Amino acid sequence: MNYAMVRRLIWKDWYFQRTAILLAFLGGAVSLGVIAFGGRAGFTLGVILVVTIVVMLSAMTVMGNTIEEREKQTLAFVMSLPISYVEYTTSKILGNLLIFVPFWVAVVGGSLALIVVAPPIHGFLAFTVIMAVEILVSTCLMLAVALVSESKSWAIAAMVTGNVALNLVGYLVAHIPGIRRQMWGTAIYWNATATTLVASEIALIALLLGGTFFIQSRKKDFI
Amino acid sequence: MNELAVQFDGVSKGYTHFSLENIHLELPTGSIMGFIGANGAGKSTTIRILMGLVHQDEGSVRVLGHTMPAEQAQAKLEIGFVSEDMRLYGPATLKWHMEFMRPIYPRWDQKYAEELARRFDLKPEQKIKGLSHGQRVKAALLLALARRPRLLVLDEPTTGLDPVARVEVLGELMAALADEERTILFSSHNTLDVEQISDQITFIDRGRIIDSDNKEAFLDRWRRLRLVLPPDVQVPRLPGVVEVGGSGRLPVLTTDRFEPAMVSVCNELGAAVQAVDTMTLEEIFVANVHSRRERLTA
Repeated sequence: MNYAMVRRLIWKDWYFQRTAILLAFLGGAVSLGVIAFGGRAGFTLGVILVVTIVVMLSAMTVMGNTIEEREKQTLAFVMSLPISYVEYTTSKILGNLLIFVPFWVAVVGGSLALIVVAPPIHGFLAFTVIMAVEILVSTCLMLAVALVSESKSWAIAAMVTGNVALNLVGYLVAHIPGIRRQMWGTAIYWNATATTLVASEIALIALLLGGTFFIQSRKKDFI
Repeated sequence: MNELAVQFDGVSKGYTHFSLENIHLELPTGSIMGFIGANGAGKSTTIRILMGLVHQDEGSVRVLGHTMPAEQAQAKLEIGFVSEDMRLYGPATLKWHMEFMRPIYPRWDQKYAEELARRFDLKPEQKIKGLSHGQRVKAALLLALARRPRLLVLDEPTTGLDPVARVEVLGELMAALADEERTILFSSHNTLDVEQISDQITFIDRGRIIDSDNKEAFLDRWRRLRLVLPPDVQVPRLPGVVEVGGSGRLPVLTTDRFEPAMVSVCNELGAAVQAVDTMTLEEIFVANVHSRRERLTA
């Protein structure tokens, strides 16, 4: 594995997404501010805003770094560089995660900090963590489909599926007895149900990314 | 000069509506091969296999001593590749592209890159999206040449260029040929461009290589013989005749194995040779393709 080349490609992807990253951080900070100081209405608006910004950055980076590269025919330029398919795939997966995850960590960290300092919403901690990891699953699904299918239509379908799944998972998780019981309470809690759900999501992420490497390494036509 | 920079041995690749069949291709180090074919003939597929971007179904490919596609990363370190469908990053400048590529290629020549930018009248600070098509091709060529590649692969680089830009690009390619160790594969459907810079010519049609030789040999062995036939004299049977045109009494024979002795043979058989015409590469290519297609449908 040529790590220097992979680093170079990751840096390139980060460079072209730097404005989106900066705007996402600013938007995320504003949204958390609205949640913290906006009262009851601000809380709802802030949550909607923060989820929208996270989902938008996820979609923008995946589409911009993978699908657009093919659509704008810059993939031929990238593949003319001294890299193999596996190095290309590694750079795309790591690059997208390195762009998205720091922002995700900052927003999720900020949200958890707000929950910890606000006793009325202490009960939301486990639900928030589960849903935050679910957003990561959606991002990885979109990334995997974009890389494997190399198709804008399929990537959009994966994005829609991820967003629908996010709502569905949110609804289902909120109705699982192990979560529902403490969710509206004023005490911080974490239980085995929450651990199982997060572990399942992490396993799904590993499966998606591992599957992507597996399929990419067996592709015969790359451009 | 004896080493092979590129070697295809029995390479095949199948798609639903097109297949590349049994490609044998040898490109000696230091040579310049013009790879000519109509649109959809298989030039780009062949080049993509050469670059390791498409895996062949059968056969072996070696490029600069590396087995493809397995060792494509090592091979591409020494290849400069420009293709008609390759684009640079629109929001970035040419300077950004140079800075991006500089640490990747150990033989990157920054002075040469800057000199090429001047010669091509490119402004390094200008964004790629603000360049004309001709300027974009020149920018891609600059990035390919400044890495000082041992093998330059150009897939239809002059397509869509205006005459001035085409002459400039071809001129720079000619200058790049001063390095005798550099090998160039130049694909095009424009025979005039290929004729100017190539010393080897390969024709490809419908996924098969139909002829390959050095340029001078092509131009020497292909001729059109304009005959005048007296009544009762048949068209003489000559070796290598691929096409018989003209009208009944004034046939025109196209041969790919011309020998001066053919003229006296014709005269002895009673057919007067009115003229022996040399052929351009384009005429040779078209005659070659037509004769092969006729043989296949016969």
